[in-house]
Amino acid sequence: MPTLVRKSLGEYRRALIGWTVGLCAFLGMYISIYASMMKDPETFSRQAIAKYPGAFRDLMGGMTDIATGRGYLQAVAYQLLGPLLFTMCAAILGNRAIAGPEEAKTLELTLTLPIDRRRLLLERWAALTLGLLGVALVTLAVAAGASSAADMDVPFGSILAAHTGLFLLVLFFGTLTLCVGAAFGRKQIALAVVGVWGVAGYIVETMGRSIDAISWLRWISPVHYYLDGRPLYQGWPYGDYLVLLGATAVLLMTALLAFERRDVGV
Amino acid sequence: MTAVVETEGLTKFYGTRRGLEDLTLEIRPGEVFGYLGPNGAGKTTTIRLLLDVIRPTSGRATVFGADTRDPRVRARIGYLPGELALEGRERARDYLQFLADVRGGVSRGRIDELAERLDADLSVRMGELSKGNKQKVGLIQAFMHEPELLILDEPTSGLDPLVQQEFLAMVREARTAGHTILMSSHVLAEVEHVADRVGIVRAGRLVAVEDIAALRERAVRHVELHFDAPVPKESFDGLPGVRDVVVQGASLRCTIDGRPDALIKAAARYTVVHMVSAEPDLEEIFLTYYSEEEGRHAHAGA
Repeated sequence: MPTLVRKSLGEYRRALIGWTVGLCAFLGMYISIYASMMKDPETFSRQAIAKYPGAFRDLMGGMTDIATGRGYLQAVAYQLLGPLLFTMCAAILGNRAIAGPEEAKTLELTLTLPIDRRRLLLERWAALTLGLLGVALVTLAVAAGASSAADMDVPFGSILAAHTGLFLLVLFFGTLTLCVGAAFGRKQIALAVVGVWGVAGYIVETMGRSIDAISWLRWISPVHYYLDGRPLYQGWPYGDYLVLLGATAVLLMTALLAFERRDVGV
Repeated sequence: MTAVVETEGLTKFYGTRRGLEDLTLEIRPGEVFGYLGPNGAGKTTTIRLLLDVIRPTSGRATVFGADTRDPRVRARIGYLPGELALEGRERARDYLQFLADVRGGVSRGRIDELAERLDADLSVRMGELSKGNKQKVGLIQAFMHEPELLILDEPTSGLDPLVQQEFLAMVREARTAGHTILMSSHVLAEVEHVADRVGIVRAGRLVAVEDIAALRERAVRHVELHFDAPVPKESFDGLPGVRDVVVQGASLRCTIDGRPDALIKAAARYTVVHMVSAEPDLEEIFLTYYSEEEGRHAHAGA
């Protein structure tokens, strides 16, 4: 493994372990509640669900089939909270690539090593990707294990398809953070961009899909390409996932170009 | 011999603020170049331009004959940043090893040898290093790969006097090995004992480049002479290079610029019982440069 990738992973290690533990605890706990809820079907009866405001149900992805294994898994793990937590993890790690060290002024010495800037940025990005992939693999195992333990009756293939989408989504947001950080060198700007694009994108994709005035905005929401194909139900939405991958590649290219031109640490 | 560092009209503006303007400078192989100026004068800007951390607004700079954009050049440079930041839980030794690996390795035992000389504890986590120890780690990483060019930005800040002596010894050794050193400082006293030449930068402009030997020749010296009997002031008026003469009975105080020859010859006519001559204060000439520049600029502006 290239020295800088190894070094960056070493720097991410504690954060990666922390987020993996947190995400696994979240997934394990929420998924295991399913079994006890099913013992009391009244909680999730259609009448009970109908009491929630429509907008809230939209926000949670409809909730029409929350009493089924798939519906429950989608609503608690893959709809909102899972992507939200994992995206926060990706944004925090993405900021550690360039903007964090630049603000801490430790980037200057790294830049004076005999490495060109493109390689520096690519290796930092590779470490980010590997780190997120590690978190994704462990959480996938936990999600699959917990759902089969809770008798959810969701095939592994569906969970894998949904989890891959989750990974691609957070990789997109992680790369976005890295890209804004590489262009401006400021953590706050990067977090603001990710926060606004992520939250607005989510709202447009869920509540906004039935509002004509803003529903066209779905096309620029990364969340659209994660949720729209309903991978937990319908398997792999290849086209959507390719869009996420392509967008990530565009962001990475942008980051390379922006970082190459910039004065660092001023 | 080609210059190690060469700049031509090197200019850097941060927006409209001038960082450095029209710097043309040549640093020759094997010399120790002291780069002097008050804080904010453009020293760090120059150094960051040479290391390609920031990009010039105009002009050009080469190191070892290659454009500063070429990353391979940086393998031959040892750099100590002016504001060295070391963070995190990593131990200092592991960080140094990482830097060494990226630069293509350092000879065995070199890190330990330097750590011992500077009395640095490398088992400490980076975020817990004291200011002085941080500076030591910075010096070790700059010197460890025995680079042909050392660029040291305010190297002695935060070092206690003993370590400063050791550092100066390391600089001399590097020069003996034929390496070139560019070191910045805001006080001349820090570099005058090792530097061959000094450049003085002020408000983003290089105002003078001088040989230290020549500078010393022109140094201002305060001299005090005591005679066995009162002396007439007239005997010492109008001597070349002698000014501010004050005679009080049998003692005389004055300031000499450059050589003390005329004063000695004039004093030799009387019986000298005691003589005090302070070390030439290069700082003072350094400041005269500033005020002269100031005057010239004011004049040109009028």
